[in-house]
Amino acid sequence: MTRPLAVTLNALGLYAIAFVLAAAFAAQLALHELPCPLCMLQRIQFAMLAIGPMLNIRYGPRSSHYALSLLAAVVGAAFSMRQVLLHITPGDPGYGSAILGYHYYTWAFLGFSSAIVLLALMLLFDRQFETHDVREQNRPGAFARVAAWLVIGLAALNIVSTALECGFGACADNPVEYELLKLQR
Amino acid sequence: MEFIALFVALTIAMLVAWLGTRPFALLLFAAVLAASIGTYLHHATDVLKLSF
Repeated sequence: MTRPLAVTLNALGLYAIAFVLAAAFAAQLALHELPCPLCMLQRIQFAMLAIGPMLNIRYGPRSSHYALSLLAAVVGAAFSMRQVLLHITPGDPGYGSAILGYHYYTWAFLGFSSAIVLLALMLLFDRQFETHDVREQNRPGAFARVAAWLVIGLAALNIVSTALECGFGACADNPVEYELLKLQR
Repeated sequence: MEFIALFVALTIAMLVAWLGTRPFALLLFAAVLAASIGTYLHHATDVLKLSF
């Protein structure tokens, strides 16, 4: 795999992360299901996955950049598995709606697990790491620039959403309304 | 409040990864990851009502 192809795949990875973050927002707004604290931690880990690809695009692919994403994926998988286990007993309705038979946290676990496998597959291709000046910075194309700003924008939107949901206190275990909007009424 | 701080720190880490220096981005990544794990462990000892 050549460096340009690896960079393009990293940009595609950023679009995939943007899709996950946007889908979480869509479910939050359309179904009026506010993310619980553990759900927010999983969103954070999905967004953390993006830092490795961003560095790969700017500085060229390096195994250390993939390692960052692997760490975020492993931690995210642990958080989502914790939530799966909280609702595993028979008769437990689970938290939030199920989409195609699975709850968000189950999808999140599948997503983090897929990320681990895909990152491992990317690491198999050595040619992308061929020696280059590490001080050299790539000039990202429009495809990669849009992807990066999309993910950064979605992360910033989560600041607003979390502030609205939690207000200035601790976030509710089972949030049903936006605390800040409640204060204005 | 801690989740707002985490999202702010995460957004700054992303901006640094995209616009700033690589060592600073790595440092911020490590800080946000450690803070996420710390937040998780702090809440993991709470009474389990629903999702925590």
